[in-house]
Amino acid sequence: MIRYVFLRVLTMIPTLVLISILVFAIIELPPGDYFESYIAELRVLGEEADLAEIEVLRQRYGFDQSAVMRYFWWAGGMLTGDFGYSFEFRLPVSEVVGDRLWLTVLLSTVTILFTWALAFPIGIYSATHQYSWGDYGLTFLGLVGIAVPNFMLALVMMYFANEWFGVSIGGLMDREFLNESMSWAKFTSILSHIWIPVVIIGTAGTAGMVRRLRANLLDELQKQYVTTARAKGLHPRKVLTKYPLRMALNFFISDIGSILPTMISGAEVTAIVLSLETTGPMLIRALQSQDMYLAGSFLMFLAFLTVIGVLISDIALTLLDPRIRFAGGNTR
Amino acid sequence: MITRRTTLALLASVALPLRAAADAPLFEADVAAGNLPPMASRLPDNPRVMDLPAMKRQTGRQGGTIRTLVGGQRDIRLVPLYSYSRLVGYDENRALQPDILAAIEADENRVYTLHLRKGHRWSDGNPFTAADFQYAWDDVINNPDLYRGGPPVDLQSGGATCSFEVIDDLTVRYTFAAPSPDFLPKLAAPLPLMLFMPQVYMRGFHATYQTPEKLAELIEVNRVDDWQGLHQKMSRTNRPENPDLPTLEAWRPRTPPPSEQFVFERNPYFHRVDQTGTQLPYVDRMVLDVASADIIAAKTATGESDLQVVGVDFPDYTLMKQAEKLHPLHVSLWRRTQGSSVSLLPNLNCTDDVWRGLFQDVRMRRALSVAINREELNKVIYFGLARESADTVLPESPLFRPEYASAWSNYDPDMANALLDELGLTDRESGNIRKLPDGRQAGIVVETAGESSLETDVLELIRDHMREVGLAIYIRASQRDIFRSRALAGDVQMSVWQGLDNGVPTADMAPDGLAPTSPDQLQWPLWGSWYSSVETAGAPPDLDAAQELVRLLGQWRQSTTTAVRTQIWHQMLALRADQVFTIGTINASHQPVVRSSRLRNVPEDGLFGFVPTSFFGAYAPDTFFYDEA
Repeated sequence: MIRYVFLRVLTMIPTLVLISILVFAIIELPPGDYFESYIAELRVLGEEADLAEIEVLRQRYGFDQSAVMRYFWWAGGMLTGDFGYSFEFRLPVSEVVGDRLWLTVLLSTVTILFTWALAFPIGIYSATHQYSWGDYGLTFLGLVGIAVPNFMLALVMMYFANEWFGVSIGGLMDREFLNESMSWAKFTSILSHIWIPVVIIGTAGTAGMVRRLRANLLDELQKQYVTTARAKGLHPRKVLTKYPLRMALNFFISDIGSILPTMISGAEVTAIVLSLETTGPMLIRALQSQDMYLAGSFLMFLAFLTVIGVLISDIALTLLDPRIRFAGGNTR
Repeated sequence: MITRRTTLALLASVALPLRAAADAPLFEADVAAGNLPPMASRLPDNPRVMDLPAMKRQTGRQGGTIRTLVGGQRDIRLVPLYSYSRLVGYDENRALQPDILAAIEADENRVYTLHLRKGHRWSDGNPFTAADFQYAWDDVINNPDLYRGGPPVDLQSGGATCSFEVIDDLTVRYTFAAPSPDFLPKLAAPLPLMLFMPQVYMRGFHATYQTPEKLAELIEVNRVDDWQGLHQKMSRTNRPENPDLPTLEAWRPRTPPPSEQFVFERNPYFHRVDQTGTQLPYVDRMVLDVASADIIAAKTATGESDLQVVGVDFPDYTLMKQAEKLHPLHVSLWRRTQGSSVSLLPNLNCTDDVWRGLFQDVRMRRALSVAINREELNKVIYFGLARESADTVLPESPLFRPEYASAWSNYDPDMANALLDELGLTDRESGNIRKLPDGRQAGIVVETAGESSLETDVLELIRDHMREVGLAIYIRASQRDIFRSRALAGDVQMSVWQGLDNGVPTADMAPDGLAPTSPDQLQWPLWGSWYSSVETAGAPPDLDAAQELVRLLGQWRQSTTTAVRTQIWHQMLALRADQVFTIGTINASHQPVVRSSRLRNVPEDGLFGFVPTSFFGAYAPDTFFYDEA
């Protein structure tokens, strides 16, 4: 087991190196470069940026060197915790992201809990009452949830939330709390706003999860051991929860891999429409404005989380499910 | 206006009824605790008195917060524009008035004597005196480490930098070798010529006055490269990101970035009072909430902004009118002052040789201009309410002539086709699009700053117009900052921007918007950079007409009478109309101004633009106030 984990960690390194090369290549693709946009920014505000200063910047950001050198320079900076400089915010990248991070994590955690709380009972109900009216009805609702684009749902809900409940449009809290430290009033304000993005982002995820749980559970319910258990007169609830449900749950664990990065990036499109103070809109904006250190570091961070998430889910699966553990042992 | 010798109104002599006025409630506690001197000793001995009845406005009361929405952190630059505290500034009739200064004397447009207000203080309570001008002159403008290119071009005339002298503690004088008629308009500009700095504060970041150890520590803390970067970072006023920097503006920043909300609070030492002696501004706070640019209009329509103009375009007018019924809002329509609301700027400096050659040919620019059906644009986008015009001055300007507006702006696809054929673009490929001489498709990538759907709508229509004459248009949404740098690098073929910044000039305002003078002019960024950097960056104009514009601008700068200036303006306007350097579409379009219905003194009707009115600046937002009701 320890050997397995060690090898998995080891394979992360080339993966991350590969990703960083990809991210850097994407950064380099658009015309113009970082420091030209910096000079432009000085000019926009009517400030002078003369050639001597350009030279200083060139050296500082290594622009006079080849792309390969610059790549090592950038990657090396990240290893030492220097994520570069955000031109748009005129601050180091590490200072820009900080404030938004915990709101994003909060939003994502609540969304995930919401998804689970909703998908779990519905999925079980749909599987145990297959082809009933309830199953059809819930399946229909779920498919609608998958089919309606999030941004559309966001616009509609924003309108009605404002019309019916007087919730201010967009944002995660009432504006007077923006610069306040955490308090009960601020917390309740966040609660009164957070349900909109949670429901919007959650619907699509819920529907998908219901479908998967239903399919997995149906597979199990048709197996012979279930029939045997029923024949023995075991209580129907126990029949359901003792084995089939546990078997159907593997995908919950393997989902962790994708959950971690979504926790940080949030649902970008929804966040933009709702003007949430999360990191998603910041990433999109950085990409739009070619604020490349911010964008590049962000992408690397997300990639890192994905890799970690996959690692965690792999380890958890091997711990949880003997079949995977043994199969892994045999091939190695 | 300013002839041989003029002295602008000396407000100092006005008798002041200071006795009755009470201090701002916001400061009561601080004054009682002794943290802040009482109002009478915070004001200059001779504050600027805003005679509200004479301005046909109501006398207000202090208090309240103006909430407004911005699309990004960088938009905190709006506050110094709204506050519009300048040495001299324009009033709402676009006449120059001394503002921070008590008075100014201009001899022969050459010798400018500036009289400060006695007892005027910075927002930190330090006196504002000639020493602040001295510091800016000796230690900043003439410090080769900070101004590597030497003093800015605006301080030069007749080939030499002006001289500076301190007459006494409250009087300074700038003497130019040759006439410099542009000096006062530059001081009144939205981004004014920097002549003074809070020296007590700024010395702490200057290598001459600060110890190297302390400086090194500050550089480390502020994460800059060197002391020049530090000095620049701490002294930025255009985008007030440093809450500690003393200011003379009506509101001072209280929030260090990054943030989602920026609070500006009244400056306790602000130098204006109303005619009853109440210190301005009336409103205690300006609060800027950062929101996605796309939902600013929607948020405004639900009453989340008390004064909104950024992010609200004419197409949002119907939404705002509807919102008036549901929320305590009021919307009025102002006229935009740009020479054109949306104009196409072919980049005469683009790096693509073929396109550069074409754009530098006047026939190409004329063809593009007459290919546009402006009547259709006006009817579809502006309900026919705007004016169809080339990119030139508006009828509100005394310099307007109808022929400038109509030059090459009548829809004539046949003429456009003929001009393009004449240019040798005769081969066509499938879809009837013309081919360039080198065989590529004649497709123009038009870049927008991506900030308004209005621009995109206009472009969609123009794309159809261009297709009729065999040109393909591809629309690319970019971002303002990067957009300008890409234009400067020559990567942009054609951009969409507003037309002339100042469509309502008088002959006494410099015609520099007409000539290549700034890298921000996206039709010739390199030539503009050449001029603004005093011939150290960019490239010299290599087109006769552009050189002629620069020459005429030079003549204007040497002029001493308004009659000569008027003549030069007309020469330049005529040349530009003929050469179609920028392709205008529609101008004088309406700009919705949304305000809280309790907010008073916001004019129902006004001219909205960056220069000369500094957005709201010339309309004195410090006199806006909340009615009790």
